[in-house]
Amino acid sequence: MALDLTFIVRTLIFPGFTFLLVLVLFFDWFERKVAARFQNRMGPTYTGPLGILQPIADYIKLFSKEDITPKQTNKLLFVAAPILAFSLFVFALFYIPIDGSNVVLNSSFEGDLILVLLLISLANFGIFLSGWASLNPYSGIGATRILTQFLGYDIPLIILAIGPAFLAKSLSLVNITASQTLPFALLIPWSCVLFIIVLQAELEKDPFDIPHAETEIVGGYETEYSGRKLAFIKLSEDFQFLIGAALVTELFLGGSHGPVLFGMPELWHITWFIVKTLGVAFFLEYIGNVAARMRIDQVVHGNWKLLIPLSLLSLALTVIIEPLLRSVIG
Amino acid sequence: MAKLRLPSMIKDVGSCIFKKPFTREYPAVKVEVPEGYRGRHTFDPEKCISCGLCERDCPSKAIELVEVSGKRMPTFYLDRCIFCYQCVESCPREAIKLSTNFEMATTDKKDLLITPEEFISQKKFNPDEEKKHVA
Amino acid sequence: MERFENAVEVLKNNLEDAILEFRIPKPRKAYILLKPERHRDAISLLLKHIENAELSTITGTDLGNEIELNYHMACGGTVTLKNRVPREKPVIRTITDILPGANLYEREVFDLLGVIFDGHPNLKRLMLPENWRKGEYPLRRDWEPHANQEIGSTSEETSQTESAGELDEAGSIINVVVGPQHPVLHEPERFSFKVDGETVVDVEMRLGYVHRGIEKAAERMMFFQDVFLVERICGICNAAHTTCFCQAVEDIGNIETPPRALYLRTIIHELNRVHSHLLLLGVAGHLLGFEALFQHVWRDREPIMDIIERITGNRLMSGFNTIGGVRRDLGPNIVEKARKNVEEVRKRAKFYNKVFEEDPTLRLRTEGVGILSKSDALKLCVTGPVARGSGIDLDVRKDDPYAAYGEIPFNVVSYKECDTWARLMVRAEEVLESLDIIDYALSHIPSGRLRVRVQRKQPEGEAVSRVEAPRGELIYYVKSDGTAYPYRVKVRSPTLANLVAFPEIIKGSYIADIPAVIGSFDPCFSCTDRMVFLDTQNGKSWHWSLEEVNNSKNRIGDLNGS
Repeated sequence: MALDLTFIVRTLIFPGFTFLLVLVLFFDWFERKVAARFQNRMGPTYTGPLGILQPIADYIKLFSKEDITPKQTNKLLFVAAPILAFSLFVFALFYIPIDGSNVVLNSSFEGDLILVLLLISLANFGIFLSGWASLNPYSGIGATRILTQFLGYDIPLIILAIGPAFLAKSLSLVNITASQTLPFALLIPWSCVLFIIVLQAELEKDPFDIPHAETEIVGGYETEYSGRKLAFIKLSEDFQFLIGAALVTELFLGGSHGPVLFGMPELWHITWFIVKTLGVAFFLEYIGNVAARMRIDQVVHGNWKLLIPLSLLSLALTVIIEPLLRSVIG
Repeated sequence: MAKLRLPSMIKDVGSCIFKKPFTREYPAVKVEVPEGYRGRHTFDPEKCISCGLCERDCPSKAIELVEVSGKRMPTFYLDRCIFCYQCVESCPREAIKLSTNFEMATTDKKDLLITPEEFISQKKFNPDEEKKHVA
Repeated sequence: MERFENAVEVLKNNLEDAILEFRIPKPRKAYILLKPERHRDAISLLLKHIENAELSTITGTDLGNEIELNYHMACGGTVTLKNRVPREKPVIRTITDILPGANLYEREVFDLLGVIFDGHPNLKRLMLPENWRKGEYPLRRDWEPHANQEIGSTSEETSQTESAGELDEAGSIINVVVGPQHPVLHEPERFSFKVDGETVVDVEMRLGYVHRGIEKAAERMMFFQDVFLVERICGICNAAHTTCFCQAVEDIGNIETPPRALYLRTIIHELNRVHSHLLLLGVAGHLLGFEALFQHVWRDREPIMDIIERITGNRLMSGFNTIGGVRRDLGPNIVEKARKNVEEVRKRAKFYNKVFEEDPTLRLRTEGVGILSKSDALKLCVTGPVARGSGIDLDVRKDDPYAAYGEIPFNVVSYKECDTWARLMVRAEEVLESLDIIDYALSHIPSGRLRVRVQRKQPEGEAVSRVEAPRGELIYYVKSDGTAYPYRVKVRSPTLANLVAFPEIIKGSYIADIPAVIGSFDPCFSCTDRMVFLDTQNGKSWHWSLEEVNNSKNRIGDLNGS
């Protein structure tokens, strides 16, 4: 692949790194405003109109704060782990089609769904390492909780993600979105609901936000981080949220496909993608606000005793229904 | 897991999206304070008889009698005051009264001293007009 | 009421030889002076014959050449057993083997007065810092704080924090220190948890971080000024503290409070209770990770604060009670507005009751967590909603009615489940009961005077007074020596009583249960530690005595100084 202008523009600016960064900050603002309105208060208001510049202000503040490293940690691991996690998340996002095709044109292949899921797992392992490398009992407890929760819930996530791939007869995200004449959320709704619940656990949001439980273990894995490294960790969490919501959009809601009314189709594809992902984010935030936090042993039991059997059942149901749906829809 | 009943907060939380936020946007929106609020002290120099009961009874010793234009009158140290209004009760001539002014935050310590001079310069004694000390 | 009579009977019949003095100056309050070392027999008798008898607190008073120890027992009324030890050799036998709940009270008297309790399992300091000089007992009458007092090096204090986060020899037990700074605590305390994986194996508490010297300071101010001092012991239960203190002084001085004042005191007391319980329910939601519940409950207690503001002039610090009555009156438009707000809050409180009863995630976190059985609760002498959540029907408003509670009908809420859920439900239902009491009181207020004129000097005497603060039973002991200044003021706030039970509950639970259990106790550490007024800055220790603080050269008037 020649290093021509299209490649550079697409990777770095649109829909590459810069666009993704702006999108992530926008999602951060949206999440906070929605959460505030659920709690009957105002959310960010002063910075910029409707407080839309608040996430930028927060990151600028974080970058300008002092960066403290504990004396006894392994410095390389302490510094590299957040950066590793962050880059893996961004890399995973490059394989999710935003405007009809991937960021790097023609780079999608059969199996890139599996690649995305693998990259997310590796990135979470990076987060675990960052908690482990700061020699603090709070971080240690938070780091082990991440592993327990994430690795446990990865299994139903993969099982449930196979469902739409089965219906579309392909493991490539581009093909999965292209074959959704009717969104899969309508065809296999049980899969969609279960996927969203498992996603809440993967993203460590209420009711599964144990690794973040500030009232129990102060900051969890991010206790010892400050300044720029903390900014990286927070950015990785935000990117993970975007990836999760984007996965739901791609797998169940038809990705960026939607009616094109006038003008450039590219623009409409991106708009539809953003609108659908915002809807998913709204719904995830809603679930997060109506439940209390569960204890770690309840989360683990819920996973092994409830969610894994249910996801296997849902996959079996999808396989059984598939010929019926194919004959009805085509 | 527990019985599968839907959390009762679902409807309540969801309907909050459509309501106005409960936050009162102070200071853009003025706050109405009920009368009888224990705010900044006001003082009528003409009624004072220099008995010193306010100084003796103050629990945190926030009042000191100083000599101003020939009469001994109280100054109030707002950084020690606990706004209990014992001085209002003790004064036999009701020279000290309450006002509803609560905006006393300041970055200058000089503002935390209420001296009799500021009340002498006023011709009329009006407790509700004491709003000029907003920081 | 019968329990009190039974208690008096039992003591009179069985301890004829040990009683030196026996007085019942007011209904349901008995003061018995015993021969030395006979207090154990008296307490064992009371525990055996009276149902639900508990020890309220142990007060130490310096009487000159003797130190008097008062054991206040709550059994229907208050029976105070007095025991005197000579000052040169202040040793007395402990009662922790018959009543484990006396642990912290004996440590407090040891710390502040220097009385040694023979046989106590763990006689260490409670309130003062570790490097306080030996032999200095602040509550003794001859101890004066003086400027530039050396309190010893600070190295001993810091060495304690280094042990945080070390691995034990066994390799799997980690020491997790919660506090003094931690998001789960609203006020600083230090809990040192030994955890094995996710299970708590042991816990050690260190109190005293907010110790302010209130009991000693109260001896320097006149009675009516002390009302404002005790009001500021705790922001949320301020009406309870002032009510209790004023009642104690009114008992000493034989002052008859007018009935209208009693009703007004009750109204403010109950408004405080509603506010405090709603605050706790929100905080419990926050500790359990339920942010939306937290914000909603805190929004719904605003109408209560509005009523308090209208009646007393401030949203929180009421400044309402004084010796002999109350300071302000209730106008007719205030009554209307109060009724409307109470109705609003009642609707929301019913909804929150439903939420706490039915919400599956809340029940997951609180059911079966932090069990305190009924017999344990009685032995550890817990009070308030913590006791009522374990099935013990103790409520000072019913057992020993004060203010207007003798005339207002209400129910005592108690649950049998003994876990965190029960403790939270007790508070949620008590909100509804309190709203009913406020309604009844607003409609049945008698007319009349607000206060009676009281002299500055009070006659010689002593009095004990108990009220039901939102967190439990609050007890005050006031002793007067005939001047305008009290001789001794002793405060025991409910959180100190309940904290004894905390280590017992938390052993064997998960780390994730710690916030839930702490939340269900509703700790108010400002009420708990109340002494010392030491400041150490930059390694050099200095502090001002009250006179020096009031010295004019330290005032803001002289801007060239500090």
